Amino acid sequence: MQIRDYILRRLMVLPVLIIGVSIIVFALTRVGGSPIGVYLQTGMTQEEVTELEERFHLDDPLPVQYAYWAGGVLTGELGWSGVAAAPVTDVFLPKLAATMELAVSAALVAVVLGIALGTFAGARRNRLPDHITRVFSISGAAMPLFWFAILLLIVFWVYLGWFPIGRSDPNIFARIDHPTNLYTIDSLLAGDFGAFKDAIWHLILPAATLGYGATAIIARMMRSSLVEELQEDYVDAARAKGLPERLVLRRHARRNALIPTVTVIGLSFGFLLQGSVVAEIIFRWPGLGRWMADSVLRGDQATIMAYVLFTSVLFLVVNLGVDVIYAYLDRRVVLGE
Amino acid sequence: MVDVPAGPLPTRVADSALRVRARRGGELLLALLKNPTTVAGLVFIVLLLGMAVFAPLITEPNTPDAYQMPRDWGALAVPPGSPGHPLGTTNVGGDVLYGLVWGARTSLRLSVIVVSLTVFIGVTVGSIAGFKGGKVDEILMRIVDVFLSIPELIFALAIAAVLGPSFRNIILALAVVFWVKYARIMRAQIIHVKENEYVDAARVIGDSSWRIYFKDILPNSITPVVVQATLDMGNIVLVGATLSFIGLSEAGIAEWGVLVSEGQSGISAGRWWASTFPGMMVFLWALGFNLFGDGLRDVLDPKTETSR
Amino acid sequence: MSLVGGIEPKAAPQARAAIASVRDLRVHFRSKVGVVHAVDGVSFDIGDGETLGLVGETGCGKSVTARSFLDLVPRPPGIKAGGAIMFRPHQACAACDGAGCAVCFDSGRAPESCHSCGGDGCERCGHTGQHTVDLMSISGSEMQSIRGNRIAMIFQDPGKALNPAMQIRDQVAEVFFQHRTADLLDDAGLFADGSEPGGSLLRRKAGLRTRRAEDVILSLPPFRSRRGRLMKAVETRIADALAETQIPNPRKVMDRYPHELSGGMRQRVMIAQALACDPDLLIADEPTTALDVTVQARILQLIRELQQRHKTSVLYISHDLSLVREVCDRVAVMYAGRIVEAAPTTSIFSDPHHPYTQGLLAAVPAASHERGRLVAIAGNVPELIDPPDACRFTGRCPFETSACLANEPQPAAVNGAHEVACFIHHPLPGADDAPSFDRRVR
Repeated sequence: MQIRDYILRRLMVLPVLIIGVSIIVFALTRVGGSPIGVYLQTGMTQEEVTELEERFHLDDPLPVQYAYWAGGVLTGELGWSGVAAAPVTDVFLPKLAATMELAVSAALVAVVLGIALGTFAGARRNRLPDHITRVFSISGAAMPLFWFAILLLIVFWVYLGWFPIGRSDPNIFARIDHPTNLYTIDSLLAGDFGAFKDAIWHLILPAATLGYGATAIIARMMRSSLVEELQEDYVDAARAKGLPERLVLRRHARRNALIPTVTVIGLSFGFLLQGSVVAEIIFRWPGLGRWMADSVLRGDQATIMAYVLFTSVLFLVVNLGVDVIYAYLDRRVVLGE
Repeated sequence: MVDVPAGPLPTRVADSALRVRARRGGELLLALLKNPTTVAGLVFIVLLLGMAVFAPLITEPNTPDAYQMPRDWGALAVPPGSPGHPLGTTNVGGDVLYGLVWGARTSLRLSVIVVSLTVFIGVTVGSIAGFKGGKVDEILMRIVDVFLSIPELIFALAIAAVLGPSFRNIILALAVVFWVKYARIMRAQIIHVKENEYVDAARVIGDSSWRIYFKDILPNSITPVVVQATLDMGNIVLVGATLSFIGLSEAGIAEWGVLVSEGQSGISAGRWWASTFPGMMVFLWALGFNLFGDGLRDVLDPKTETSR
Repeated sequence: MSLVGGIEPKAAPQARAAIASVRDLRVHFRSKVGVVHAVDGVSFDIGDGETLGLVGETGCGKSVTARSFLDLVPRPPGIKAGGAIMFRPHQACAACDGAGCAVCFDSGRAPESCHSCGGDGCERCGHTGQHTVDLMSISGSEMQSIRGNRIAMIFQDPGKALNPAMQIRDQVAEVFFQHRTADLLDDAGLFADGSEPGGSLLRRKAGLRTRRAEDVILSLPPFRSRRGRLMKAVETRIADALAETQIPNPRKVMDRYPHELSGGMRQRVMIAQALACDPDLLIADEPTTALDVTVQARILQLIRELQQRHKTSVLYISHDLSLVREVCDRVAVMYAGRIVEAAPTTSIFSDPHHPYTQGLLAAVPAASHERGRLVAIAGNVPELIDPPDACRFTGRCPFETSACLANEPQPAAVNGAHEVACFIHHPLPGADDAPSFDRRVR
């Protein structure tokens, strides 16, 4: 089946790309600071340093170094983070959980709101709701996240005081267990609704900020996609069957317009990943993004390396997933209509 | 065999194509002006560029380095509307208006340099890939794909971090990240144009490959590159300001991202102006170029989609 | 001035009033360069059980006319500029309950009595005694109950007119769910003895009003079997409808997507869908244009058969005269937004009166033409923006006079049921230079 071939082809390219990314990351580690910097800790003796240099074959030519470095990465040897004062692997998961909580919330908001907004605008083409949505979408695409975040901070935190910053109130946070490291889920599991409210309340501001840009992109795509579908013959044919307009929209036009929108949802994921760096700084969210930002300022090579690798692989995988879903949904495209 | 007359043929396909394009330039302008959002974008751009170009006239340059924020120790963190400082000052007495105006200049420098670099590199690589085809094409495009696998901001962040915080390094980092789109665009255009008849016609007349490239292929492939460059003028400043905000630029310079970052400390105390105004400038700059670039794309290539 | 429909001798004129009467229909379009008068004063009747062909070249307004029946003309930029489309919907024949009998001429459908006068004849029903509605001015919900139910439409390109992402089953089912809700519930044996657990949900499902979440609930055990019965009822109806259009293996076809079927099959699906609720009027907008020639013939034959079986009236839009000749009882020729000639098929082909019609017939390559001679009509279709008060065929008409440039001819009878809008045949009183026409020798 053609879809299967398509998936296979994409899957086969994936490792090549990942290797390519790893080469770039490797090059970066060689460009800045000491090549061993990734693995250095304060207070290491000269012997330990020499031992590291030997283990990673720093005397040998670059390709050999790359091989040992890559081997190290695959076996979990990701170095020591000066910022976190711990091995990268130890700290990674909890921070990832925090960022995922933020990103997923933002994504949910963006998808639901974006599709709704796009449908609303597309069905009322060139009338007022459409124009308003267009202004919203365009401003969302050009919006500097750091500025938008600061604006929201000023309005909702400094002046109105409605929402707190950070991830949690430390007292509330401390009184429940954290099996999944996801504050929202853990508080529900513990049956502690006060904690749940605390979690949500801290989540609102950063998720809204992060979601704004993604909502704009999705709404824009959904709108143009819907407008295109509404011009197709089958929409008229559906009307000619006597279906009320809202059913024509819901069962026919919107359903088909969602298909290209899926690709944009994948794109907005990259947007969310990058935005999380800034959002976490401003809202003091203890996730991967802020860790990366601190590392960048303090030359913590290990973190930088791990972060770039991780986000790139994630980005690739998500895009592949989105393309596969799209190919599956749009039989017209893949089966060569 | 075709009986080709001696000497060059009187009219060349590309010459007439250029003449057509000149006539269409006027039509182009009119079409652009019809769309209100495009006009709005153009207005923003003109205002911002004006601000950048006429910076020394709007506010007195700070000596010896105009790009360093001045310090008025007598007016630390005063709000907008204060005498001598219409938009207020920062924590260390830097005039916010000065920061906006000279920041525009900085942004102009940044975007022009980066866009020039990226266009040059990208178009070259893309042309080679498109023209040569075969293995060369495959390898180059794989490289492009790898570059595109890393999210832009994160890539630029890592490069700038590794090189060290400075304005120059931000330029380098952005250049390394943003050239790839042009390579893709150019290659696609060349492949498309290569299949067009008039290139074959030029070959028949006996033009060398170089001539064909510059007179036939390049002018016709340039449109999406121009659109992308316009959009990038906006986005480069956006990403650059983000990098500065995170802290990868030099402290104290007149750059919007730096100003927003430095203004953060006053926020909890209610001193909103030092961050809000420079941030707004970034927004307006990106908005202007995005609106205009979108309008440009609609007029020039209604069907193609260039990436953001 | 109107044409009475149906020369069929089997019916007494009062009982067989035209199923639809178009009166001075005007549909305009706003464009950047002005208001385009796409349909400018079109009037014709479609007789009960008759197949009327509407022919003309691209852009003459025939599609717009057809779409106006179902309010499918997009309203900006379209404008309903005037006129009426009187429609006389039928209902299930009371005598035979839809089975077919002498009273309803075996169609199972009989005219509905006028709501105002109860069948005596009044202003509202144009003295026909039949329930009449003006399709140009009815409400949205009324129109919805007519679309797909009393008037159905099939489109030109079945590949585009079917939703590519929906199975055939789901698409055809929509017609039944929308218009035959009660019947489906009966078929499934639901609500037979009053109430039913999960009743409201089931009703909503049968009426296409469920949301995604409700559908999920319906797939759960307590409701599952009942929903299954409902679906079986629908599927039986769908299978019957598909089988009637001679689609082999209807049950298998139901599972397919449109792109998995051939062009001919798709058109059969469209036809099945259209005739599913036994409509009074079928509008066919160039149904065979997108099909291969061999398939065309079979589809035409199918339409003819079904039409005769169900006694459905058909409005057949086409630009292809030879096709129209095969299928239609009467033909109306449209040009530049107006009807120029209308007559029974035999009449139009044997004795065309309007110069445009003559030109059309001469232009069709036929074996009888001399080799090497293709006759084209000189000139182009006029711009329809603010058309002047003149015959629209001027500039192309070999017989035009000064009268033609100053006045617009109206359709008028020539003999019996044959009408023409031309000053040759109905010279203006007092016109000096009444043209001497020489009928083209063929």
